[in-house]
Amino acid sequence: MLRYTLNRLLGIMVMLILLSIVTFVLSRTVPGGPFGKAEVPMSKVQMDQFYEKYGLDKPILEQYLTWLSQAVRLDFGVPFTAPETTVTGLIMKLLPYSALVGFLACVFALTLGIILGMIAAANPNGWVDNSIVTYSIVAGSIPSFVLGFVVVYVFSAKLGWFPGGGWGGPEHLVLPVFAYGFPASAGVARWTRQCLVDIINSDFVRTAYAKGLQQSRVMSKHVLRNALIPMVTSFLPMFPGMMTGSIFIEQVFGLPGLGKQFVLASTNRDYPLVLGITIFWAVLISATYFITDILYGVIDPRVRISERAA
Amino acid sequence: MSKAKALKKSRKIGADEVVRASNWVASWRRFRRSGLAMFGLIYFIFIILVAVLAPWISPYPYDKVDYNVTLQLPTWQHWMGTDGLGRDLMTRLMWGARPMLMVGVLTGAVGMLIGVPLGILAGYLGGAFDWFVQRLVDLFSSLPNYLLVLFLVMVMSPTVMNLVLALSVTSWVGSCRLVRGLTLSAREYDFVEAARALGIPTRRILTKHVFPQAAPLLLWSFASSIPASVFAEAGLSYLGIGIRPPTPSWGQMMGGGGAYWLYYWHVALFPSLCIVVSVLAFQGLADGLRQAIDVNVNI
Repeated sequence: MLRYTLNRLLGIMVMLILLSIVTFVLSRTVPGGPFGKAEVPMSKVQMDQFYEKYGLDKPILEQYLTWLSQAVRLDFGVPFTAPETTVTGLIMKLLPYSALVGFLACVFALTLGIILGMIAAANPNGWVDNSIVTYSIVAGSIPSFVLGFVVVYVFSAKLGWFPGGGWGGPEHLVLPVFAYGFPASAGVARWTRQCLVDIINSDFVRTAYAKGLQQSRVMSKHVLRNALIPMVTSFLPMFPGMMTGSIFIEQVFGLPGLGKQFVLASTNRDYPLVLGITIFWAVLISATYFITDILYGVIDPRVRISERAA
Repeated sequence: MSKAKALKKSRKIGADEVVRASNWVASWRRFRRSGLAMFGLIYFIFIILVAVLAPWISPYPYDKVDYNVTLQLPTWQHWMGTDGLGRDLMTRLMWGARPMLMVGVLTGAVGMLIGVPLGILAGYLGGAFDWFVQRLVDLFSSLPNYLLVLFLVMVMSPTVMNLVLALSVTSWVGSCRLVRGLTLSAREYDFVEAARALGIPTRRILTKHVFPQAAPLLLWSFASSIPASVFAEAGLSYLGIGIRPPTPSWGQMMGGGGAYWLYYWHVALFPSLCIVVSVLAFQGLADGLRQAIDVNVNI
């Protein structure tokens, strides 16, 4: 287990370094640097000064090494577009918005999806099952920003129940979380149903019934326990996934999150900020995969045993 | 059963092609049974026709600005109304099918061009090469997908081709993983071993014996990759970093409709319907294929 863990950690490190190199080199080599689009055209001298100030005139390897040595100390530099803050500071300031919306949407999607998936699996092939399967296909086909338009039109513009955008009290969260979580619940329902049906139809469940166990006991001890493994491994990575994917929802509802900032930063060619946010999300995502893999061993004893045998 | 009939039957089973053909026939029967799948197939053909024929069947030029008819609700002249610049919405929707299809289909195709050879080689050769490909798969599947695509499109200037390229950076992972898994088991089949024993060159074994095993599944994998790309194209264009105006795209029409849609619902409604129906149809198509070719793998 220890060796496996170390291996994985090493892999993550390599990935992060490669990702940072690619992003770094790409952003430094594209035509039209960060100061090319200034409203007032700058003279060559001014341009050179800016390049010198941010170290952009040095060889790219040197620039990268400088960046890397600061990045390992969590110092991602200063955004070109907001020199009064630091990249780390800006990320920390904006993260709560994205994280909150993503987290709540994820919880909503998981609750709705797992309940529907369980109902469907409990009555296989009936009309309930069929309608839930149909729901999972239809709901899964609605992009969150399209649903965002619809709910804002209906619940905000027409009915006036909830504010249609911006950040404020909890009522501001209702529409974004719904629009973001509802389409995601489709996949959850589908996967839950799939996992449960697979296990309900397996031999050891039939054996459990055959030896006279009650249904509730079979369900909790045999079915759920086993279905939990594939479910956890695919649902845990949803959290960071949904936090990074909230770019669209943040745009529709005008939320001041990280995704929106990232779009802005890319448009403005704000290299330090783009690089900082990319690396930050990558760390978050790989950390979740890592934890998921470790949890996999905790939930499923078979993994641990085969590890030991190997 | 008469002798002739029995003979005919045995010949039927014995002849390799016939058995394989009947597989496809059975698959088609299973496919036809699902209503959503048939809808997906018909829609697929329909939308290709619309996209290809857009210059001839659309009632107006897509960039014809007419300030006399801005923001009209559907009328007999403009069946789906007009946008803020008086451009015909239906025309723009027809043209918008082009980038949608291009991105949807090409991303899957490029992903396969990269993923299938890598997956087959990794699965068949094993060893160091397999280890290397596996690490690549790990690497690319833990990337922050949308951020990377967004960044790449920004860096490379947003055109349809660059959008396809940026999406392909991660789209090959799925087919690679799938093919690698299938090749791992196909490698152990007797006929593959026989081919190896006969001294048939590896390249020939891979293309003639191993690849056909994976082909039907690849069809499904290809179809199921389309919805995600359609999503991405619509979303990025909505953010204003996908397809650039004046070329119409459904997502961009929603983003561009920005200010008006609260008062003029049709500006947002028709493009969003197009997006949803397309994703639904492609999803249905993929699902139908999954049932038709009886996919048993977990990806």
